[in-house]
Amino acid sequence: MILALAAILALQDTTRISEAQSVLSQLVESYGVSGMEAPVRATVQRLLPSWAKSETDTAGNVWVRLGQGDGPVVIVAHMDEIGFRVDTINADGTLGLRTRGGFILSLFEAKPALIHTDRADIPGIFLPRDSGLTRRTPPALRVSVGATTRAGAESLGVKVGQTITMPKQYVRLAGTRATGRSFDDRMGCAALILALRTLDRAKLRHPVVFLFSTREEIGLEGAGAAARQLGTSTRRVHAIDTFVSADSPLELQNFAVQKLGAGAVARALDNSSITPPAYVDSLANIARARGIALQIGTTNGGNDGSTFTEFGVVDVPMGWPLRYSHSPVELVDLKDLVSLAELIRAVAEDW
Amino acid sequence: MTMLQAVKNQRRRSKSNGGGRSVAVDRRICLLTVSTAAFAFLTAPLAAQTADSLAVRFSAMTAVTGYEQAMTDSLLVLLPGSSRDRLGNVTLALGRGAPKRVIYCNLDEIGYAVGNITDDGYITLRRVGGGARLSPLFDQQLEGHRVTVFGRRGAVPGVVAVRSTHLTRGRPTGNEAPFTVDNAYVDVGAASRDEVLALGISLLTPVSLAKRPQRYGNGLLAAPNAGRRAACAALAAAALSKPRVRGTVVVAFTVQSLYADTAGLKTIVHLQGPFTEARMVTVPSKFPETTVETVGLKDVADVTADIVKWIGGSQ
Repeated sequence: MILALAAILALQDTTRISEAQSVLSQLVESYGVSGMEAPVRATVQRLLPSWAKSETDTAGNVWVRLGQGDGPVVIVAHMDEIGFRVDTINADGTLGLRTRGGFILSLFEAKPALIHTDRADIPGIFLPRDSGLTRRTPPALRVSVGATTRAGAESLGVKVGQTITMPKQYVRLAGTRATGRSFDDRMGCAALILALRTLDRAKLRHPVVFLFSTREEIGLEGAGAAARQLGTSTRRVHAIDTFVSADSPLELQNFAVQKLGAGAVARALDNSSITPPAYVDSLANIARARGIALQIGTTNGGNDGSTFTEFGVVDVPMGWPLRYSHSPVELVDLKDLVSLAELIRAVAEDW
Repeated sequence: MTMLQAVKNQRRRSKSNGGGRSVAVDRRICLLTVSTAAFAFLTAPLAAQTADSLAVRFSAMTAVTGYEQAMTDSLLVLLPGSSRDRLGNVTLALGRGAPKRVIYCNLDEIGYAVGNITDDGYITLRRVGGGARLSPLFDQQLEGHRVTVFGRRGAVPGVVAVRSTHLTRGRPTGNEAPFTVDNAYVDVGAASRDEVLALGISLLTPVSLAKRPQRYGNGLLAAPNAGRRAACAALAAAALSKPRVRGTVVVAFTVQSLYADTAGLKTIVHLQGPFTEARMVTVPSKFPETTVETVGLKDVADVTADIVKWIGGSQ
């Protein structure tokens, strides 16, 4: 009997991992550099449950409002990703770039590039350095689309202001691990969508806003607009974002050591917010009551919820452990996504 | 026994029934292990194997020097009548009689092999090929990128670890030296050595950057080793075009050009020579030894046409 139950639970786990992967992979393979999130927004809207009515505000944020009354709990994940913007089209046809968000520049040097337009993406390459500089960090990167003049580049459809990334792919690794670019914060978006799909709306104790925000990587701008709009009425905010983990052979082990595969993480202290200890305890109690794996830790980075704190709103951010942040090979464990989605559902229904 | 005697004995053995049987067995193995790319070759009509399409397909393949078998498997399927010698070179004899000439391309590449597996499931690497003349930035192309580990049970995706941007904040980075292979930890998602071994990965398993050829601009192709692959594509396309042949021409795809002082080519000379003339096929490229080494597909077509002329006896 116990064995049969274990087999059934294992089968259910497989189904949940499978659904988590299906949602996550579609989000990861959508492109959306900060300020140009439209493809991700469209994917989010397509993956929402059919009953969910969404609205898009002037900042580009997607809102899903549930429940009645005042004082919403806001649960927010960001849609944007790091990348570049076309800053200049040079006389030799190469493109000068401006970074959007913070990352290690050398990871893009001498790699394939994609210039994102309203229509088809334009392929190109991030040019290798030509200076003979043999240090790790390259000079300012440029992109070639194969043109040798400004007019040639423009004739291919390149315009100043377009965004640039490199091609990306969701790839499943051994066990329940997966890799790709922009898991930060498509994992958060996926967790919100998975929670919405299983949510019992009759159980909500407060109104809840599921918010998919824009321009987080360049200064929490989308969430900031939403925070100002709601003002002091917000009951509590939960940023659902990356817990950058030191679970890696290259990192110092003095903090952020929460392990991949061990469940969601309460991001209790980061560079933008501190969760009051009593709220961390409440979150731990909610997780324990539902048998959800929860780790508690501290890491670096800022989160969208911190834009609400100036209105007297407590930010209780939650995340999942991520290796190799802001690189082309961010790495996650799908078990943590399942855990995080369950925790979000529990927070919405029970707290 | 002198080297000449050894070469003569080798040639006698290869002409014997035993040698023929060995080749037949090799073929069966290669048919069993044929890659998806090779399957595409089998199912596509030969007329469709243009130099362009072959350049893109070859650029997606991996042939770490000394570990070229997967790519040579595909070549054997692509080129009816071709055979593979014991070192791994693939050759195809066209025509008959004198003069006897050889035209070849180097298909191998600088890559990596598994050097160690840690208790917690990370794979460390040693470079294969390269040497002192290699750019000090060569290994840096691995950092924070996807790799393919060619295990005995199939290709296994992995990534090369990189420090998280967020966790470097506030710590001095300065004017750091480039990333080297000594700092490469490959993460395949395993949590222990046993999990790595279960994937068919062991010491010496070849490893390369994941290949994603990128076409861009007006007929440009960017990929690791694009120049070498384009040269082999031009040679294969010329051989498949049923060219007029003057005398005998041995079309050769050589292995280990980057190791042991071009062991592959020397093997062909010793086994199938002497030749009155030898030509190495090259295609001009930009950004060599980078992930975006770039060739012009028109150049590939021009080289193909030139090879066809050369095989026919024109200069």
